[in-house]
Amino acid sequence: MAKEFQGTKDYVASEQLLASVNIAMALQKPLLIKGEPGTGKTQLAQAVADSLGKELIIWNIKSTTKAQDGLYMYDTIQRLYDGQFGVEGVDDIARYIKLGKLGEAFESEEQVILLIDEIDKADLEFPNDLLWELDQMEFYIHETHRTVKAKHRPIVIITSNAEKELPDAFLRRCIFHYIDFPDRELMEQIVRVHYPDVEAHLLQEAMDVFYAIRNIHDIRKKPSTSELIDWVNALQIGGIPTEQIKKELPFIGVVVKKDEDLEIVRHGGLN
Amino acid sequence: MFIQFFDTLREKGIHVTLGEWLDLQEALDKGLCGGTLTGFYYLARMILVKSETDYDKYDMAFEECFKAVEHETEVGAQMLRWLDKSDMMELAHEEARDHLNRTEDLMIDKDDVEEKFKQRLKDQDSEHNGGSFWIGTMGKTSFGNMGGNVGGVRVGGQTGYQSAFSVIGARKYRDFRDDRVMDNRQFQLAFRRLRQFSSRLDIPESELDIEGTVDKTCNNGGYLRIQMKKPRKNAVKLLLLMDSGGTMIPYSSLLNDLFQAVNKSNHYKDVKAYYFHNCIYSHVYKTPECENGDWVETTWMFRNVDSDYKVIIVGDAAMAPEELYSDTGNYRGPNGGLSGYEWLQQMKRHYKKIVWLNPKMAPGRAPWREAETACKEMFPMYKLTVDGLNRAMMELMAPKR
Repeated sequence: MAKEFQGTKDYVASEQLLASVNIAMALQKPLLIKGEPGTGKTQLAQAVADSLGKELIIWNIKSTTKAQDGLYMYDTIQRLYDGQFGVEGVDDIARYIKLGKLGEAFESEEQVILLIDEIDKADLEFPNDLLWELDQMEFYIHETHRTVKAKHRPIVIITSNAEKELPDAFLRRCIFHYIDFPDRELMEQIVRVHYPDVEAHLLQEAMDVFYAIRNIHDIRKKPSTSELIDWVNALQIGGIPTEQIKKELPFIGVVVKKDEDLEIVRHGGLN
Repeated sequence: MFIQFFDTLREKGIHVTLGEWLDLQEALDKGLCGGTLTGFYYLARMILVKSETDYDKYDMAFEECFKAVEHETEVGAQMLRWLDKSDMMELAHEEARDHLNRTEDLMIDKDDVEEKFKQRLKDQDSEHNGGSFWIGTMGKTSFGNMGGNVGGVRVGGQTGYQSAFSVIGARKYRDFRDDRVMDNRQFQLAFRRLRQFSSRLDIPESELDIEGTVDKTCNNGGYLRIQMKKPRKNAVKLLLLMDSGGTMIPYSSLLNDLFQAVNKSNHYKDVKAYYFHNCIYSHVYKTPECENGDWVETTWMFRNVDSDYKVIIVGDAAMAPEELYSDTGNYRGPNGGLSGYEWLQQMKRHYKKIVWLNPKMAPGRAPWREAETACKEMFPMYKLTVDGLNRAMMELMAPKR
């Protein structure tokens, strides 16, 4: 193992998470990260990249993303247009092959971090379509009869919000880590990374309210870490006296985003 | 010694494959566990367990193998019935966590914990529902550093303790997935109705419309002009919630037909199926056996199965009034602080389209079947026949009123 991921000063990770990153690197397997929204799944890749001094390539998955998009695209339409206007080099297909994010990661001269973000957004079959490519770290371009093979096996980090179940065959090949929602202690550290000189009492009060809201049963959308951080910031900037926080819930809209939830919180849900 | 761990994991329902097992061996060869039991615990979990809902099963297997604790099932039937209650589940939970913690400290005498556990079981001479002593004692454990609790927080909610206790004595129901060949064509045809109206979709135009392109190119004097179109795809997503309670047993073959029909109509964008027992409470089960622990939180379902899913509830709505209206009405699992009625109301609020299919629906308002009448008021209810199914499908596709 050349280098180990130790976390960065901007990213507070639990020891298990650090271990999982290092194990995934050692075993050369993709690391699958699951967890509630706002537990820092996406930032993890950035932190790993920073800490190891490697480039980060992000492949954002949307509901329309196909596995092929990550490999390469053959821009037939551009070629047709070019053919019509007699642009030079139309007979060279390779000019119209554009590598996707996965292809980019393979072709890179140095080892990179590849983040496949929110893989569960895509079609159910999507992860299966990538099995071979992630296993062998190569793919074949039919149009040019070229095999793109990874020069340096990228470190692959995959995040999932558990919107869809992922296929077993895919899961078998991954290292899995579930990010627990941070407890108070860890949460305090996380907030302090962002606002080192937040007043202790203010933070305590805010966290009281925050965890109380998370515990309300009816709440539709539980507030996440990033919302607490924003709220703490708002409270600081607003100069709200600490003792008002619990009583008046100032700027609560930063934490609770849905109208129904606001109703519940305002009307005694916190008791 | 490790092969026993492998077997135990599979026994507990974690389907570890040989490949994963070999990966673990490789990791151990590379010394990735750092030579500690805790290190091994996390290492093996990362490689072998691929869902947080299985963490609990893993904990059980781990405990069993590395502390050689055997869960004797010498408890009587009465005790088992108590154990089916959630608070007792938590007790069992807590004991196991405790145990695991101390396993970590390696200071524990196994007999001591077992003794304590048995003692507490003995001390408890009555059924203990809602007692303050048992509930809330499950504190955060300090296994590992940095406040990570052993499989503590699960987004799927506290998965139950898959101990022998909750499994033994549980009634086994017939699995609706049983692959029987049968003619359920009529049902399938009914489900096809869910496709008929699904062409006007809100999806991007991502397919090349060849005819349109030829037309436009010709109109353009032979210069290429691309025309795209929406792919013809069914965007209907279906959530199937099936009652698997005792009173439904006579209808199991009918339900089997229905399930097969849904499964065979593979033209849906997505189909999810969960099960419930008599009424929907805080958890829905993943299998028709409705074993405690093998479930997801109903609120998890709300978050993950979004409101665009069309919901079909299949059940006889034959709850006793207290099963529907009391917030402790769920006699074989947790209620989650709400009555069945309130859970059904939440369903209604969350999902845009819900229909209820009832295999033994009474005509009109049947005063002797209070629960059914209440459900009818909440959801459009149809009898589970081919005709009823057809009408239910039309209701599902009808625009929102």
